[in-house]
Amino acid sequence: MSDTLYKTLSTRVNELSKLPKMDDQKSIPDLIKENGFSRREFMAWAGGVTAMLALPASYTPLIAKAAEVADRLPVVWLHMAECTGCTESLLRSASPSIDSLIFDHISLEYQETIMSAAGWQAEQNLENAIEKYKGRYILMVEGGIPHGEGSHFLTIGGHGKTGEQSAIDASEHAAAIFAIGTCSSFGGVQAAYPNPTNATSLSNVTSKPVINVPGCPPSESNIVGTLLHFLLYGTLPALDAYNRPKWAYGLRIHDMCERRGHFDAGEFVEQFGDDGAKNGYCLYKVGCKGPYTFNNCSRQKFNEGTSWPVQAGHGCMGCSEPDFWDTMGILHEPLANRLFHTSFGGLGSDATADKIGLGLLTVTAVGIAAHAALSAVKKPKE
Amino acid sequence: MIELIEKIEGEAKLDFSFKDGKIDFVDIEFMTARNIEKILQGKTALDALVINPRVCGICGHAHLIATVQAIENCYENLEISKKAEIMRELTLNFELIQNHFKWFYLTMRPLLGKKQEILKATYPSQLMAKAIAVFGGQYPHTSYAIVGGVVSDLTEMDLIKVNHYIDETIKFFETNVVKADVEEFSACDKVDNILNTSGDLPDILREIKNKEYLQHGKSYDRFIAFGENSYFTKGKSLKTIVTQNISIDYVKEQENLNSLAKNVTYKYKYYEAGPLARAMINKIPLVKDAHRRYGDNIFSRIIARVCEIEQLLNHSKKLIQELDLSEPSYIEPAINIENLTAKGQSAVEAARGSLIHKIELEKGIIVNYEIITPTQWNLCNGTRENPGVSQKAMIGLQEVKTAELVFKTFDVCSVCTTH
Repeated sequence: MSDTLYKTLSTRVNELSKLPKMDDQKSIPDLIKENGFSRREFMAWAGGVTAMLALPASYTPLIAKAAEVADRLPVVWLHMAECTGCTESLLRSASPSIDSLIFDHISLEYQETIMSAAGWQAEQNLENAIEKYKGRYILMVEGGIPHGEGSHFLTIGGHGKTGEQSAIDASEHAAAIFAIGTCSSFGGVQAAYPNPTNATSLSNVTSKPVINVPGCPPSESNIVGTLLHFLLYGTLPALDAYNRPKWAYGLRIHDMCERRGHFDAGEFVEQFGDDGAKNGYCLYKVGCKGPYTFNNCSRQKFNEGTSWPVQAGHGCMGCSEPDFWDTMGILHEPLANRLFHTSFGGLGSDATADKIGLGLLTVTAVGIAAHAALSAVKKPKE
Repeated sequence: MIELIEKIEGEAKLDFSFKDGKIDFVDIEFMTARNIEKILQGKTALDALVINPRVCGICGHAHLIATVQAIENCYENLEISKKAEIMRELTLNFELIQNHFKWFYLTMRPLLGKKQEILKATYPSQLMAKAIAVFGGQYPHTSYAIVGGVVSDLTEMDLIKVNHYIDETIKFFETNVVKADVEEFSACDKVDNILNTSGDLPDILREIKNKEYLQHGKSYDRFIAFGENSYFTKGKSLKTIVTQNISIDYVKEQENLNSLAKNVTYKYKYYEAGPLARAMINKIPLVKDAHRRYGDNIFSRIIARVCEIEQLLNHSKKLIQELDLSEPSYIEPAINIENLTAKGQSAVEAARGSLIHKIELEKGIIVNYEIITPTQWNLCNGTRENPGVSQKAMIGLQEVKTAELVFKTFDVCSVCTTH
């Protein structure tokens, strides 16, 4: 990382600090102090975020400053057709943590699940927020969007506006648009075959650029990280072919998996509950889709780093890949040499990998083929 | 007059009509649908384990457990280890506990004029989410329960962590919710004793008395619960008379003209589901005392839900003691699911009440799937002659604001309802 980058980012943060705060009475440092965090704890947190965004440790003070000016860019959060799991993920981010504190503080303008206003008042708040922060607010959308002839499956507010229209309108004047979760990134569970409500992704209904932060749900760190990245850079992050930020979705689950050593050594769980399962062997043969899934779960984990599915003994199900409901089945069986059909002529996410990723892919493919052959000798059921 | 009710994890539209200054009817409409049941048709049975938790991010774990039990119910004589059973019950308890905290601090207290303290809601719910994550890998949307058991192999270390999360949550309860020892609270059978203590619960209970809201929110006094485990018993309660012999076969869903959500009845009658229903059926002394004094009103609903936090925390501690880590986590079913043509059903107690799943398999492929969610029970949109449970609770009130309070004491969740 060069000095140029540091200078660019500092300029950006300085410019942000000149914008008015959302709440004149309370600054983010006050908020953090009030909730019992010391400066030292705040800096430790900033250090963690710096590492997550793949910046050198010397950038920590800058990240801290960016977090302190986060209230210059308020967040508008919209719920579409969804299960609220993404909000839940965020509400459950680290024990009353700095992430959630900052996020709650800046996103209270319009977040249906936690905001105090209700009904008409809420609808009014949304319109006001859009008007007041025109061109400045960050739009975060959770949920798939029933589209076109299916749009009546999501009607919001007293005026009977469709979710689709609401998303289009809110996108119009946003400084940046993030699709949070697999639903708004790719349509999600409601878009699974036969997609009865004609649900689609946010990027399909707006002409504005959308950054996808998929996962079902995405980890709290990916949500907050995306936000801080935008605060710092003011531009879109490096994206893969599915518009996912590369800092989070650049590597496969498999690449950094804690059970990877067992994969390489050919040590597999053949069946749940066997000795391999007790010894923490690789879950590929019981259906882990980690080799096809781009995400940082193996590094960031969930619930303040408590655990993640593979640690608990269940394979990755590929929840941050498009249409994983239909393409990644069968749940407890490996994809093996079946083709993983996605867009880009079946190349799917792998088409997005950089050179290192491609190298890894080759190794993975060979590995999988070899192990798939081994799978044939797995004890047949019945 | 139309009022939109937000903050119920999704949105419902309430259309109030007034007569002589009083609400004489409320039409409850849901304007969202995802048709998850249709998506399940034609998919392999195990896909339901991934899809169903996504019906609801708030109580997704209850959906996972209901799904796995419905599929297991398709087998004859399927064996599950005691260990797996206890683990499933524990994670479900933790989901209920974290939900009740969030409802109490994010929804109830602000509605009764108190400051919304987000951190008081998130702190204990994060502890409980971590406890689930130790067993299941993540929360929300874990998939650790599979047909035949669970995937996780616990160590003593994991149990130490989970015990610690429970203890910390109990500590939070004792220093914030009711400023008393949980043992003391648990033994208390008189509402008056609670009203004389300090803490966030007595604080809003006194507020209800001061505001003269004690007559608010009365409905049919008819309760039902189908889920059974080592703590909950199934049954129904009609004006305090409890019977246990109920059957899912009498549960019927009806299409609703005005709304995308379906009504649900037991023997063609509306029933209230949720913590108050469970407490009435389980005869929890403190809740029974509240009910005896004030009936099935908002006071009783609030005390029942908060009481359940304490009961489930203590019960979970006992359950952990019963865990035998040497037992298998998973026992392979004798029949491959691809050869299975059968029907199955399950009922679990989710945070808001009974959740019922029914599945029909043909050679391992789902031909039919039916989900009946707790909020469907409480938010039935009935007619003027025969209103649903929450409709009846709101009729007769004078202000929309108090009606909203009454409505939300049911802890409604429209995400589930509009599956």
